[in-house]
Amino acid sequence: MKLLQTALAKAGSRGAQRVLGWATVAGLAATGVFALFVVPPDASQGDVQRLMYVHVPAAWLAFASFGVVFLASVAYLRTKRTRWDRVAVSSAEIGVLFCTLTIVLGSLWGRPVWGTWWTWDPRLTTTAVLLLIYVGYLTLRRVADSPTRRAHWSAVLGVVGFVDVPITHMSVVWWRSLHQQATVLRPGSPTIAPSMLATLLFALLAFSLAYGYLMAVRMRVGRMEDRAASTVVSLPAPRARAPRPVATAAAPGGSGDHA
Amino acid sequence: MHDLSYIVTGYTLTAVAIGGYRWRLAVRARRATELVRAAAGRRAAAAGRQR
Repeated sequence: MKLLQTALAKAGSRGAQRVLGWATVAGLAATGVFALFVVPPDASQGDVQRLMYVHVPAAWLAFASFGVVFLASVAYLRTKRTRWDRVAVSSAEIGVLFCTLTIVLGSLWGRPVWGTWWTWDPRLTTTAVLLLIYVGYLTLRRVADSPTRRAHWSAVLGVVGFVDVPITHMSVVWWRSLHQQATVLRPGSPTIAPSMLATLLFALLAFSLAYGYLMAVRMRVGRMEDRAASTVVSLPAPRARAPRPVATAAAPGGSGDHA
Repeated sequence: MHDLSYIVTGYTLTAVAIGGYRWRLAVRARRATELVRAAAGRRAAAAGRQR
């Protein structure tokens, strides 16, 4: 938790953000070059397997983002500090972005390899549920009526929703799945060629930089939006206008509440 | 579809998604700044009327 706090404080300055931004662009561009032109194609799947270098890091970063939501939510529930709520929502937004990318890229990979865009396979289904949980998290924040209640309920969902992350990861082990088994995060050594593993790890580093950069920018925007909201609330009330005439007769078939 | 079109679509979508989110954040930052600036202007105008 202390490490997360220090990393966020360090990435907060505009200069650090700029450096992080350019490092992200360079990292992602280099990933594209390595993945598309340097590393050899897969022996059985051919060139389409090159989608792995964006699909897998997107999935890992989605899991990591939701992990940060979990940690920040626990920290918020313990301390009630707004900063943790801001960390959680920032990470949830980026997690939803990466999770959507994971599903779309997986679908693009699945069509030529499995012959279908989508199937109700355990890994795909649990990932879709994961996306729905965090879309629900962001929706919940829009409907809550007070900032304190919003932060509290979203922190609870941030803790409970994380349960689906290990389920998604283990789904290929627990149930019969069309999706391939883990090749890197598995007991024993990775079952992937060294050049492919090196490219995959490099892509993971580039995506992590992208996460760090987007997180730093999103945190700054969150602070600005909070300041804007509090400024608007504290404004003096505008001068009173003449009241509008109010209709007294209810429209036929209206859905108003009647005591 | 040829293999290449899946790959190009995938990599393009990744770049568009990350770049698009960054652009969206820039728009939100600009809106928040404008809101604070406008509110400061309204507050100054209200203070001027009271004087």
